[in-house]
Amino acid sequence: MKRSYGSKEMAFAALAGVLYAFFGLLHIVEGLGIDTGMAGLLFIPGDILGGFCLVVIGAVFLNGLREMLQGINAGVSFVYVGILMSLIFAAVYLLIMGGNLLDSLIVPDDYEGWNVMETFRPGIYLGLISLFGIFHWKDKFSLNEVLVFREGA
Amino acid sequence: MTEKITIALAGNPNVGKTSIFNSITGSKQHVGNWPGVTVERKIGKKVHNDVMMEIVDLPGTYSLTAYSLDEIIARDFIIEEKPDVVVQVIDATNLERNMYLTTQLMELGVRLVIALNMTDLALAKGDNINEKKMQEFLEVPVISTIGSKGTGIEGLLDAVTEELHKTRVTENVFNYDNQIEERAEKLGVVLDSDPYFAHYPSRWFSLKLLEGDENIIKKAKESGSYPEIQKILNETDAEILEAKVADQRYKTIQTMLRQVCNINTCRLTGSDMVDRVVTNKVLGIPIFLSLMWAAFEITFTFATPFMNMIDIFFGWMAETATTVIPVPWMASLVGEGMIAGVGSVIIFLPNILLLFFMISLMEDSGYMARAAFIMDKIMSKVGLHGKSFIPLVMGFGCNVPAIMATRTIEDTRDRLITILITPFMSCGARLPVYVLLAGAFFGRDAGVVIFSLYALGILVAVVSAKLMRSTILKGEDTPFIMELPSYKIPTLRGSLIHMWERGKIYLKKAGTIILIGVVGVWLLASIPAPGSSGTFASEEIYGTTESMIGMIGQALEPLVTPLGFDWKIAVALVFGVVAKEIVVGSMGVLYGVGDNEENLSNILAAGAMTPLAALGLMVFTLLYVPCFACIGVIKRETGSWKWTLFQLAYGTTLAWVFAFVIYQVGTRMGLLA
Repeated sequence: MKRSYGSKEMAFAALAGVLYAFFGLLHIVEGLGIDTGMAGLLFIPGDILGGFCLVVIGAVFLNGLREMLQGINAGVSFVYVGILMSLIFAAVYLLIMGGNLLDSLIVPDDYEGWNVMETFRPGIYLGLISLFGIFHWKDKFSLNEVLVFREGA
Repeated sequence: MTEKITIALAGNPNVGKTSIFNSITGSKQHVGNWPGVTVERKIGKKVHNDVMMEIVDLPGTYSLTAYSLDEIIARDFIIEEKPDVVVQVIDATNLERNMYLTTQLMELGVRLVIALNMTDLALAKGDNINEKKMQEFLEVPVISTIGSKGTGIEGLLDAVTEELHKTRVTENVFNYDNQIEERAEKLGVVLDSDPYFAHYPSRWFSLKLLEGDENIIKKAKESGSYPEIQKILNETDAEILEAKVADQRYKTIQTMLRQVCNINTCRLTGSDMVDRVVTNKVLGIPIFLSLMWAAFEITFTFATPFMNMIDIFFGWMAETATTVIPVPWMASLVGEGMIAGVGSVIIFLPNILLLFFMISLMEDSGYMARAAFIMDKIMSKVGLHGKSFIPLVMGFGCNVPAIMATRTIEDTRDRLITILITPFMSCGARLPVYVLLAGAFFGRDAGVVIFSLYALGILVAVVSAKLMRSTILKGEDTPFIMELPSYKIPTLRGSLIHMWERGKIYLKKAGTIILIGVVGVWLLASIPAPGSSGTFASEEIYGTTESMIGMIGQALEPLVTPLGFDWKIAVALVFGVVAKEIVVGSMGVLYGVGDNEENLSNILAAGAMTPLAALGLMVFTLLYVPCFACIGVIKRETGSWKWTLFQLAYGTTLAWVFAFVIYQVGTRMGLLA
């Protein structure tokens, strides 16, 4: 069955790509000790390596967008992997949150005045976008999926 | 009465052999080594249809020639041990290459059952395989399986028991050209007349001789009829015949495949799509680094509550033992020595388990092979081979299996360099030292410090490789040829089994060598030094300069003073050679805090050492002499004491120089003050 990857995929790649790259850069800037003024509002930590990872996810989405704009249908592969990566990172951040929560119950003295939201990260709420993507295209995105491409690639 | 049989599980690497093995045996597995070598040998048991099956997982091989140790092991097991049935696991998405091994197994005349694995992936790829036709063509049972889901396993075991009771093993002979057939026949006559060869299938042995198989020729040389054999072999060029034999086998396979399946080659599968991205020349490496970072975050952060649970438990145990045991020295031995020492090591079990779980996910999904592929360009720039990358990554878990994994590297120089630099990859045993010191001195930046240590290990390994390649181990670069298996969604069960296998080894180590080590430290810390007036295990002796350990430490102190370490650290580092985990356990004993990590952290941070010395100690632990087990495996794999001692001297010198520079330069510059 032939499929065409059109505006929806491109819009998704553009939105996710820009958001991940932007938030990743904010992590890095905060990590360098520069106050962006958005740390509290958007739960952005000063984390250079974590920021780098978000920038990489953003770059994956944006590269997919670039290829699809050039008419290369297989560029959707980047959207596919971008979604996988963003879900992996959302899961990682959720596990870290869960770990901290559990630890606060085991050694409550070490967590006096601590709030679970302190470990809430943009990687979690950005992952929701990908969750939307995976639900929307769940039939298309599977490891066994066969992409019959029309041109390019 | 239950019948007992042996089944050999054979197949190419990455065909899902382990999934099939796990599906059949579950947790009833035993992991050991093949006799005389350090290649892992897995044996599992299963009762099916009133037959007790012992399943032996053979090393993954592409053929039964003697190109690698794995192939020799697999071949020798089939010929010498004569398993009742051989089950060959075949990747249904790559039939042509997999069936080359089938042709060789058939020529060996074994009772063969084929597990056509990953049929779901083949179907999704658009391949249409007619198993029945394949079975008719090959005259061996072909069972469709999906190892990761456990599908088809019952049918496979049924086929094994049926094959077992067949009165005749199918005689499958491939016809080669006249030149080969004539020579094989001549050799067959000679072999059949010599009882020395009665153990071997003569046609298979003849063909191997004609192919110039060195291992087989070596065996033939031990027979009385070798001059006659040599005469026949001299009539032809082994290289040409080997190529002809391989060509004929592939032709036969292609003929069969045309009749039994329809292979789709013009579509882009999910695996291809993922590969387009993760092997992308620009994004491939950043993606790899991101995934590694995620794996480390989970390993170090998610493990914390579980570490605290273990810490609380062992703290309670030590306290109870100290209270309950009436004899003071015995209470000290059990509480402060044994329980506290072992507890200080077991506390890191969550980190170890999670690290291996992450490595397992990457291996089982097929991503690790891609990582090797994308790293080849960088690796070749520093004089290494892409295949060196997998052992190096495995080194993050444990250097011992990592060094054993270098066997996949064909080039001797590449392999030797990889062996020599693998100990610089920071194994799980060093982690306790990092977690303790980074936590004590670097607080919120502990994660960054630990990540940097791993990065430093890689950097030292890479620079060392370049240095060795351009000086003592010069040679031509070898091309990178490696199969990229289809991606699979790793199963939780498979990854948990893998994780538990490694965790078990760690626990066993904690209960044996580490227990002995910490008891040794306790004894030396309790025995008064010559000339001391204190009594055994008394407060004024235990862990002080008045003890034996204090005396040893003071003798070593001048060597480590320039690095900012005291005599207690010197002693802990010496004991760390037994197993790196002992460094922390020894420090607990020497600083008199037992297994209480927090107290030890507090004592260290309160002035027992400076942050620069702590950083130097972490770097020293990363680079200096590896543990005994690792030294043993370096000796075994290099076959040379010269190279083993070189690694030890080189690593320790580097460790000393790095720690010296960090402490001295840092102090003079007022860093981390």
